[in-house]
Amino acid sequence: MVVVMQERATGEQVERVIAQLVEMGFDIHRSTGALRTVIGAVGRTSADPRLIELLDGVHEVLRITEPYKLASRTFKPENTVITVGDVRIGGDEVIVMAGPCSAESAEQVEAAAAAVKRAGAKVLRGGAYKPRSSPYSFQGLGGEGLQMLRGAADRHNLKLISEVMESSQISTIERYADILQVGARNMQNYTLLRDLGKSKVPVMLKRGISATIEEWLLSAEYILAGGNMNVMLCERGIRTFESYTRNTLDISAIPVVQHLSHLPIIVDPSHGTGRRDKVASMARAAVAAGADGLIIEVHCDPDHAMSDGAQSMYPAQFDRLMAELRIIAPAIGRSICLEPVARRGWSR
Amino acid sequence: MAEERAVSAIDDLRGRIDEIDAELVRLLNTRAECALAIGQAKQIAGLNVYQPGREAEVLAHVQAINTGPLDNAAIRRLFERVIDEARRLERLADLQ
Repeated sequence: MVVVMQERATGEQVERVIAQLVEMGFDIHRSTGALRTVIGAVGRTSADPRLIELLDGVHEVLRITEPYKLASRTFKPENTVITVGDVRIGGDEVIVMAGPCSAESAEQVEAAAAAVKRAGAKVLRGGAYKPRSSPYSFQGLGGEGLQMLRGAADRHNLKLISEVMESSQISTIERYADILQVGARNMQNYTLLRDLGKSKVPVMLKRGISATIEEWLLSAEYILAGGNMNVMLCERGIRTFESYTRNTLDISAIPVVQHLSHLPIIVDPSHGTGRRDKVASMARAAVAAGADGLIIEVHCDPDHAMSDGAQSMYPAQFDRLMAELRIIAPAIGRSICLEPVARRGWSR
Repeated sequence: MAEERAVSAIDDLRGRIDEIDAELVRLLNTRAECALAIGQAKQIAGLNVYQPGREAEVLAHVQAINTGPLDNAAIRRLFERVIDEARRLERLADLQ
């Protein structure tokens, strides 16, 4: 780190800063200028810059390296590609995950799986354990819901992503899902993240409602540090002063994360806007900005959905969106499921 | 002719600088050996690697004997680097 002293800092103040840095294990490169002294602290020690910022006479402490290591592109320059069966997330192909917010019934899950498969999705999404803002809202079908989702995914040759809310659910959800999702509200549930680090199943980590990109990458670091290197990130909108949309989808997070990290980044335009009529625009923007994938809520009868109906697309809207994405992706050198699969005879 | 003389003077001076640098490197290493010995003594005596009082004395001394053309601020900055490296050497020796 670089410690910039105040213009009027005394020799004693500079000495106290150096003494603290030496004690922390840093080597010092001091440079006394006409107006201010700059102290370079070099070493492998990671230290809390605030410990230095609090010392008398310190103007500013600048950190040179990121606090996260395994998630950093400095650590691993090439992109991470996560393989889930024949689906590769983080490669050239933009992977679309779609399906209902929650599993509600076998029929509903089956209809949604058939619809998203027909449109070209590779992964079925669907929650069995739902974190809801209100304890009185529908909480999910649990294990029964997982069985419905797995069955529908298998029938339509789709992979399955489902949310895990707490450590005790990991072993159950692992049995059914191909990707474990950590929701925005759990992004800083460090016990859960540590336990997911021990899992072998890929994890999609959503960005917290008010999380900075650095906090988000530090949360990914918890999973990576535990030994699970198959982590993808998911931008799902952050809370801002704007109230027209449910959240403000941070499209700029895509290039920023791709610069800072090697992990794939998925975008959730459904939660990102909270409004069905805005989902397609943001999905197109996300693909154009270089997202590695999308996760979109699709419901065959959204007006009667038990959760997130307002942001769930009708299958016809989703079809149209996929057709548009097939035009956008090649423009930036990416591919996306080329033909609607129905024409290839996958559909039942 | 004037250009040739100037070029040959530059060559001579560069040769002189190389000789001075060799001498500087030798002296810096001799100084570093002293610092290492002091570091060992500090360890036995239970003193900290960082002795700001002594570093201030060293910096005051080199500025006091400075006759230029480098000004005192420049001498100070150069010796700050010398001290920084000596401290690093002491730390590395401590680890062994």
